[in-house]
Amino acid sequence: MVATTVEQPFTIAKFPLSSWGFAIRVWLAIVLALFVSFWLQLESPTTAALTIFVLAEPTRGQALEKAGFRLLATVIGVTASIAITGLVSQARDLILAAFAVWFGVCIFAAKLLDGYRAYAAVLSGYTVGFIATQQIDNPQHVFESGMARGAAIAVGIVSIAVVNTLIFAPDRQSRLVAQLAAIHRRVREYARSAFCREAGNSTAFMALLGEIVALRPEIASIVPETSSGAVRSAAARSAAVALVAQLQAARTNGDPESKGSAWSAGEWLRRDHEVSEDLLAMRSARWPLRVWRAPLHRSYRAAAESGVRAATWFAIASTFYVWAGWPAAGVSLSFVALIAALGTITPNPRAFTAIALIGAPIAIVLTGILEFIILDGADAFPLLAIALAPFTVGSALLMTSKNLLWSSLGRVNLPYTLLILAPGNPQTYNPQAFLTTSLFIIVAAALLLAAQMLIPPVSDDKRRMWLLAEARRELQKGGRPNGETPEEATFRDASRIGQFLTAGGAQDSRALAEMLSCFDQSAILRLCDAKLIQLTGGPLAPLAGEAREAIVKRDTATLRAIAHRLREQAPQRKDSIEADIAACLVLTSNIVDRGGSVDSFRKAA
Amino acid sequence: MAHTFPELVIGGVLLAPFVSYLVMALIVIIVLRPLLHVVGFAKIFSHASVAELSLCVAILGLLMLLF
Repeated sequence: MVATTVEQPFTIAKFPLSSWGFAIRVWLAIVLALFVSFWLQLESPTTAALTIFVLAEPTRGQALEKAGFRLLATVIGVTASIAITGLVSQARDLILAAFAVWFGVCIFAAKLLDGYRAYAAVLSGYTVGFIATQQIDNPQHVFESGMARGAAIAVGIVSIAVVNTLIFAPDRQSRLVAQLAAIHRRVREYARSAFCREAGNSTAFMALLGEIVALRPEIASIVPETSSGAVRSAAARSAAVALVAQLQAARTNGDPESKGSAWSAGEWLRRDHEVSEDLLAMRSARWPLRVWRAPLHRSYRAAAESGVRAATWFAIASTFYVWAGWPAAGVSLSFVALIAALGTITPNPRAFTAIALIGAPIAIVLTGILEFIILDGADAFPLLAIALAPFTVGSALLMTSKNLLWSSLGRVNLPYTLLILAPGNPQTYNPQAFLTTSLFIIVAAALLLAAQMLIPPVSDDKRRMWLLAEARRELQKGGRPNGETPEEATFRDASRIGQFLTAGGAQDSRALAEMLSCFDQSAILRLCDAKLIQLTGGPLAPLAGEAREAIVKRDTATLRAIAHRLREQAPQRKDSIEADIAACLVLTSNIVDRGGSVDSFRKAA
Repeated sequence: MAHTFPELVIGGVLLAPFVSYLVMALIVIIVLRPLLHVVGFAKIFSHASVAELSLCVAILGLLMLLF
């Protein structure tokens, strides 16, 4: 028996020290960004402060990676704004229609990507909202407005990069190594329990698969951390791909039909060795022996439908504003774009909009207190910095909370405070502007929620159904796109299971069983194909050809017969290539047979 | 004689000289990164991130001084 003690982190007001460090870094970066923006007399210091909020990530690498994508997406967004305004200037309805289409395209792209790439795609979308739509009555100012936004974002990025570096924001790579090593340990435990046929194996398998795939976007974020970041990231990516392969090998090894098979045990050991090698390469900042990509499953249908729905929400909101005929409604419309865009990269867009609507009045009251009671006409920068402290530190602390509601409220409160306060030099303290912006935010969130009630976001049930249909189709079609190795293709399948789990797949046991069956079959068929290539050019090549044909027809009886013939022709050694391939063919037949029974059960149901 | 800073003109739009220096410094850093990895730059310092930031500032300063 092993006794372990968990060290409790030092906390202040129930928040750990790391959360306080994060919150203070955010406040300092906002103050620095505002100071530099005022000093350079930039037109939109609020954007610089908002950039800090966007880049408020717990580690340095994540902040830098997101910064790069923010800059790139702003350039794309500004270019699109100029193009849209140039093409359809003087025609309000056409500009709005063009923007709705562009917005839909960006949401479509975001749904095909993950991590900060998805964020960059939605940012390209709502940047047009902030530039072209806000300047809808003054198209000649689109370029200047784009430049002002770009400059403010650059100031924000430099501010947070300097603050994160000088205040020693934690690096992601050390934690990532620990996380991957812990998963590796758990995969070994899983293999042991799988071999003993313990209950609940599928749940453990799913949990591990989900965790490995969830690390994918974070692996990319260690690249900008140090000069060896790219090498460590490549090693981490290879380790993640190898972990999925090892997990699959453990599952196959635990298969009742393959127990005791020297081949499957050998396969598991080989994978285990690969993961250890990759982890060692990552720790010592060396290139891994072979660099694997970690491809992501892209569901084009779900992405297209999300894009169309997002474009429709925007079109509904635009129609309402056109019909209402309010002055400066473009500002409110840009908030609709902002909330809709940020919502689509969360698992539940409608819940995000609801939180945005609930958080708005709270933020308005807090900002009112800050602007008209605490600051109340103050024009000294140190006073602004001190007055901002409780609001920014408080919101940033809430963002780190483990409670989803608190963290979401913190996440919406900080940008709202900055948007409504709109720090400027000199600060205007105009109650009318305060009320207008507050009203615009509430109307935008309420209107978007109404649009999302009318046309709901793509439901989880639909997403699961499409993912399952894609898995079935790919299994039938076979083959590997883009010259992927079997391991990379298995990782892509694993990412599909990860998406399936995110869409509430754990509750849908029948679909989950079929999804797993497709995963098992695809993995073993790819492995079998790779093994059969070893026979090419040899005396057994015709037999390999027959086996391939049998695989295409899913003819398991022929496969077993071929395995039998291979065994007869194999040398007496148990570990010969022929014996390995024979074992692989038998296992493939078993898994395909089992997959067939799952399929017939589904059809009967 | 005072040092004059060249202004970058793209399609008739004037860009501040500092922006072009910043972009050049960024390019130099990106090109230098594999080299820094080979010489083990990150292992020499206890706080590699601060050292790399200082290197960026030094390169930016040098570019402004020399060009």
